Amino acid sequence: MSTNGALLQVRDLRKEFPVKSGFLVERVTHTVNAVDGISFDIAEGRTLGLVGESGSGKSTTGYCVLQLLKPTAGSIRFQGKELTKLGREEIRRMRREMQIVFQDPYSSLDPRMTVGDIVAEPLDVHGVGSRRTRRARVRELLDVVGFNPDYVNRYPHEFSGGQRQRVGVARALALNPSLIVCDEPVSALDVSIQAQILNLLKDLQRDFGLTYLFISHDLAVVRSMSDDIAVMKDGQIVETGPADDVYERPNHEYTRALLTAVPVPDPRRMRDRRAERRKLHHVIAET
Amino acid sequence: MTLPANPRDAVATGTAAPDVVAGAGAQAGAPIEQANLWRDAWRRYIQNRGAVVAGAIFVAFVAFCVIWPIITPYDIHNDPVNFSQAYEGPSLKHPLGTDKLGKDLLTKLALGGRISIAIGIGATLTILLIGVVYGSIAGFAGGRLDNIQMRLLDALYGLPYLPFAIIVLAIIGTNNLWTMVIALSIASWFTAARIVRGQIITLKENDYVRAAKAVGARWYRVLTRHLLPNTLGILIIAIFLELPGVILGEAFLSFIGLGISPPDASLGSMAQEGREVYRVHPNVIAIPSIAIAVLVLCANFIADGMRDALDPRTRETKEH
Amino acid sequence: MALLQVENLRTHFFTREGAVKAVDGVSFSVEAGKTLGIVGESGCGKSVTALSLMGLIPRPPARIVEGSVTFQGRDLTKLSEGDLEDIRGREMAMIFQDPMTSLNPTLRIRTQITEVLDRHFGYSKDDARKRAVELLEEVRIPRAAERLDDYPHRFSGGMRQRVMIAIAIACNPKLLIADEPTTALDVTVQAEILDLLDDLRRDHEMGMIIITHDMGVIAETADQVAVMYAGQIVEQAQTEELFDRPEHPYTEALLGALPQLEGENVRMGRLRSIPGRPPDLIAPPEGCRFAPRCPHANLSDGCAQRLPELRQIRTGHLVRSRHPASERQAVPV
Repeated sequence: MSTNGALLQVRDLRKEFPVKSGFLVERVTHTVNAVDGISFDIAEGRTLGLVGESGSGKSTTGYCVLQLLKPTAGSIRFQGKELTKLGREEIRRMRREMQIVFQDPYSSLDPRMTVGDIVAEPLDVHGVGSRRTRRARVRELLDVVGFNPDYVNRYPHEFSGGQRQRVGVARALALNPSLIVCDEPVSALDVSIQAQILNLLKDLQRDFGLTYLFISHDLAVVRSMSDDIAVMKDGQIVETGPADDVYERPNHEYTRALLTAVPVPDPRRMRDRRAERRKLHHVIAET
Repeated sequence: MTLPANPRDAVATGTAAPDVVAGAGAQAGAPIEQANLWRDAWRRYIQNRGAVVAGAIFVAFVAFCVIWPIITPYDIHNDPVNFSQAYEGPSLKHPLGTDKLGKDLLTKLALGGRISIAIGIGATLTILLIGVVYGSIAGFAGGRLDNIQMRLLDALYGLPYLPFAIIVLAIIGTNNLWTMVIALSIASWFTAARIVRGQIITLKENDYVRAAKAVGARWYRVLTRHLLPNTLGILIIAIFLELPGVILGEAFLSFIGLGISPPDASLGSMAQEGREVYRVHPNVIAIPSIAIAVLVLCANFIADGMRDALDPRTRETKEH
Repeated sequence: MALLQVENLRTHFFTREGAVKAVDGVSFSVEAGKTLGIVGESGCGKSVTALSLMGLIPRPPARIVEGSVTFQGRDLTKLSEGDLEDIRGREMAMIFQDPMTSLNPTLRIRTQITEVLDRHFGYSKDDARKRAVELLEEVRIPRAAERLDDYPHRFSGGMRQRVMIAIAIACNPKLLIADEPTTALDVTVQAEILDLLDDLRRDHEMGMIIITHDMGVIAETADQVAVMYAGQIVEQAQTEELFDRPEHPYTEALLGALPQLEGENVRMGRLRSIPGRPPDLIAPPEGCRFAPRCPHANLSDGCAQRLPELRQIRTGHLVRSRHPASERQAVPV
């Protein structure tokens, strides 16, 4: 699946977290391999769905790609540049090209800043435009994400989860990035609002030619958003391929276990799915 | 409270597919009319009768200390000493009596109150400043620097408060308002630093901090624009929690003669003056002592009230 | 006679801003050995309904202002707190959403299980311990005897939920209420827990109420479904019937908003979303509560003026709407 023209190329990415313990002096006893050697590509304009359960390392992968966490090893090539070798100022400049939408609409917006300030911050940080052009751009961005621009001077706590997520998306778009990492962007929202935000993300991708790394534990959501899928378990990618292939003809046992575990809104299939799940019980050993 | 606008009145975006209910992608609804955070806190504060009364008394006393010396007919510093009027009891001319030099106690109380409150507030603000700087650096940096800073803090914690202040004063040499502020601050900024550090560490985990970093904000911007403004609530509470300790500290030091020296007088030094004659003329020592006690008590009540008003957790236990 | 019969339940929260009508006229019944699923989005009143059944609503500020909850012939709303305590855990049990906070972190698992046995049965120490091991085995916790003496933090989320279930079934209750039992769990663990609940229901012949926002969970576990919106039931039917022929516009919209796991062209399609937000429950609208968001709402039919009654549209299928799917003529413009 590797094309030289891919926007993002990740090779053998590793991220270890040291586990410290000790009485008076903390010593590193062992390390946890949150991400244990994964590789994938994302072509421009496409969406890679990164799916897995908690502890699979999917969010950590997203943060490493964005250099919010420093990878322990591996290579991340974005727009042809090797991110792990860039200096701090260069990374800062690259941040204009890659952004993130967070999961929790309640903690992802600074409660003491107005909506307008929140969306304007990226422009502020990079000194884009004058105060007047920034204000206009903020209104434009809010409009694009379906948030009434007249409310620029209100505070996040005055809005619902779905509206806050829209503000988060507007912030991510501010600098015209080419890659957006969506870290469980709809997991905290009700189903009907989820649909609104997912539709919005799809529209934005089409209108602005965005590339998405879409991280989620919800297989159905990932299916509706992704061109390609990578299934993660315990820090590794156990299966990868075009979405339809992975969902219709899964190879790995774990993928199959995941797919049969998802409750589908079809009562007639229940018995069959339960029987299939029993067969795959050994794959999901619980501690 | 208004209902959300009918979405079918909103203009549907041109990109809506036919199966999408009209207006889905268009302007999201109006904000929820929720009470402002501060207004909510104020309302909760007002429900606490003790805090409201304490607040009123505190404000009244401060107002008295500020205004009275301006309108009083007595000029404590320049009026001639009048031994014939010394140690008088309360009367119409001197509502609280006079001291050993015949000076009006009511006016002295106001002047002393000024100094005590000024030292109290000055020291509290200085404590907060030192605490914020130390605590935010430790909390924000984390890792080894945080460890070193905290070990140092642990060591300093062991030093007894007042003796430490006395030593600092001795080192500085003079005993005026400014040196008192410095000495008291240096001796008691540790708790504030801890509180700020704890708050910063908690706030650091919020996604909006990560968002700022993801956008490329430099560390000082994250600290000053995102972290510190969100510690405001805690800081206000900390102010009123430190105030009693500082006022008492100053009063004690002045009482034992190591604090404010003449011509300035604080409530503590006033009390010291009355120490020798308390059996015969109790009002000279009683009045400033009562004033100190009232100030400290009020500050404690206010701090309690503010903490209940601003801390969402104590609020939850009452509503659920 | 039904195991549980709820009639016109109304639970209001009395706040400074007014009375929040969280549950506003809810009626349903649960048979022994069957599962009722209550589904709805946040704020619809499903959790408050469950808490009202057990008498666990915070009293102030909430209160059951009207209605009856008849369990095994007795009206629970009329019982004293003491009588309710005798029923809770013994005849009627509940498990909650977050296994991380439902167990006391300072007590061993053994203590927490035997606590409930003690309260209702007064077992001896040895008997209680034996029964506790049996229960842990029944909820499929491996090496039950060893793990009995562990503290909660040594268990994973799914395991803790199993412990919760063990505590709930310890006294063989006739009715088990599960409030979002799997929402906080991974999807594979979720499936196991739901399968476990279903097996237990059959083995113990318990009636079960499952409260969830996930239509998939409903499809997999419920015999009967009640869809709640803004404090009221808007549709109620057998599960297969509801998914085959949904009547209420809200149910249709909810099903349409679900991203599909299977099927073709999923990537390219758009999800059907519902614009707007649920109404304010302090002053709910006079008419149909879904009307402001409903594509079929009609001024001339009085949708915004009068609240539609919950009526029977087919045997066993109730709907609260003036425009249920089977009565619509053409696709609206």
